[in-house]
Amino acid sequence: MTRKTFFKESKELFRDGRVRVAMIIVVILMCVSVWISARQYQNINEQYKVANTSERAIWDNQGEKNPHSAAHYGTYAFKPKYPLSLVDQGVDKYAGTSIFLEAHKHNEAQFSAASDQTGLARFGDLTPDFMLLFMMPLLIILLGYNSFTKEHEMGTLTLLKSQGISSWKWIAGKWAALFLPILILTTVLFIIAGLILSNLRDFGVFDWNALLWMYLVYTVYYIIFVNLILFISAKTKKSGISLVVALSLWILSCLAIPKAASNIAEDAYPYPTRQEFAANVLKDKKQGLDGHNPWSKKAQRLKENVLAEHGVDSVHKLPFNFDAYRMQKGEEHEAEIYFKHYNYLKEQFVKQSKVYKGLAAFSPYLPTRFMSMAIAHTDYATHWNFADAAENYRIATQKFLNKNFEQNAAYGDWSYRADANFWKQLPAFEYSPPQLGAVLSQNFSNLGVLGCWLVGSFALLLFIKKM
Amino acid sequence: MITTQNLTKKYNDQTALDQLNLNVNKGEIYCLLGANGAGKTTTINLLLGFIEPTSGSALINDLNVSQKAKETKKILAYIPENLMLYPSLTAIENLDYFSGIAGKKLTKENVISFLKEAGLQENAFEKRITAFSKGMRQKVGIAIALAKDAKVLLLDEPTSGLDPKASNEFGQLLHKLSQKGVATLMATHDLFRAKEVATHIGIMKDGQLKEECIARDISLRDLEQTYLSTMNYKEVEL
Repeated sequence: MTRKTFFKESKELFRDGRVRVAMIIVVILMCVSVWISARQYQNINEQYKVANTSERAIWDNQGEKNPHSAAHYGTYAFKPKYPLSLVDQGVDKYAGTSIFLEAHKHNEAQFSAASDQTGLARFGDLTPDFMLLFMMPLLIILLGYNSFTKEHEMGTLTLLKSQGISSWKWIAGKWAALFLPILILTTVLFIIAGLILSNLRDFGVFDWNALLWMYLVYTVYYIIFVNLILFISAKTKKSGISLVVALSLWILSCLAIPKAASNIAEDAYPYPTRQEFAANVLKDKKQGLDGHNPWSKKAQRLKENVLAEHGVDSVHKLPFNFDAYRMQKGEEHEAEIYFKHYNYLKEQFVKQSKVYKGLAAFSPYLPTRFMSMAIAHTDYATHWNFADAAENYRIATQKFLNKNFEQNAAYGDWSYRADANFWKQLPAFEYSPPQLGAVLSQNFSNLGVLGCWLVGSFALLLFIKKM
Repeated sequence: MITTQNLTKKYNDQTALDQLNLNVNKGEIYCLLGANGAGKTTTINLLLGFIEPTSGSALINDLNVSQKAKETKKILAYIPENLMLYPSLTAIENLDYFSGIAGKKLTKENVISFLKEAGLQENAFEKRITAFSKGMRQKVGIAIALAKDAKVLLLDEPTSGLDPKASNEFGQLLHKLSQKGVATLMATHDLFRAKEVATHIGIMKDGQLKEECIARDISLRDLEQTYLSTMNYKEVEL
């Protein structure tokens, strides 16, 4: 009976001109979105490669220079584009692609793709994640809103009941007929994405496991929608009402609740403004050691301590350049300040994420979105991770430069120039995002919420059976 | 095959069916006549198990419908006043689906033979139901009953809206089924068709079975007079 109902429903769906047109539109949009994303992905990665290579060449070919001048001259850490960002671009567009690494300052990522776009960008982009997160649930609604109501409206329900229909098998047939086209579309999309990604050269390591996990997350998301739409269709008497209720659910789940969650989270745990943040950092910096100012009280105290430690009465008698030593200490102090303030931002982010995750109970969109971005390495957590790695690299770079200055120049000798080949000894910045296992364990709660939605939505089907 | 024992259905204070006792044996066609609201459709719905009786019992092949809903549905077929099928499916596909729902596995040849037996013209087999007239849909309904190998047929005003030819063909089909031993209970307003096809006729009013007769023992004229007097209608003189 399940098989018969499945084939009957499928025939009805595919003979319905509206459904055929909708399916064709979705398929075309999906192909276009994948094509656009693949092109963007290739462009950005080529730019990344060019920028990375040229910036490193500039660093390597500075010539003879004072290490501290080189520290101020700085370099860039570029955020790599990950293969699965082709499927889900997440916050990449807004989070910035590169961080300028220089002495004394922890800079934020800049040059976001969004900042390069015109106001038309407010209309949004046609991306695979848009299709997967927004359009596919709409397609589920279109295919399934009248799944049960049509039996009332056409009057076939009485004949079905008189034939001794088994509720479960009937529901299972309708469920399969609604889910299978969605599953086929999703599978095709992911296979195409997988083939494109695995055939692109020089774009990092593509992980089929990650793609599979992403596919599973979206499959669960669609199962939840299929269950909800069937429930709505079963509980309403007219197709029109069913459509309105289903669309309302879509608006709430995919648009209203995520935006409300964002507002609630930001209201509950706001970030400081850029000015406040800069002022707080500056205030703390002033209270500590300034590596450039040898006359400050902190610098004087440091000098006294170092002289006492080495049993000498002049910085000239120290076995290293005290200027470089002081600058390094100043660098360490500043790094601590930045750590403290950025840590506060991170804590706010974690608290906001908790609010988000709490509100995910009201919308299957939220846990799906979080999981998808996390697996694609396009979420804020990955961005923070990249920013931390860049900051660690900056600190290590300053240490590397100060050490050279400290060991090779006499105190007060600012005319020292490091060898032209010295710069090449600095290891290049390389960033690896968290592994899939770590991403999944970090997002365990999202997986849990998604699982609860899945179980809950299947439980709703029990109510259909009672019809 | 079809038995009701003091079958009663009440909606709040309203009695839709009051202590109905009737019996339809194998091969009999029992026509229930009555005005709208007489309780004919309620009787059929109770026999189908769509609604629960307030008291009494409805039996199909000695099985209580309320207690053995699945078992009774295996042996009965139902054709409502407006048999609605899936418009985007063909006659063959509809028959195949509804038979499948009833647990029957049919080959395409089987399906075609049932449609032929039901009198549907062959050029309509592969056509979608959306283009079918009511008479054609009723024939598909009969084919569904044939495919199900139903022992009991419940019909709720199946000839209303049919043209005389289609109505006559439908009557002939009922005769065929009757000869195969199918017990039929048909609710109808159509006295002429009832006289034509029925073996037994009952007249209902206000949820009660007021009159019962054997169809061959009564003329159409007498049936009409009995009906009108039961309903307390005055005969209109022409």
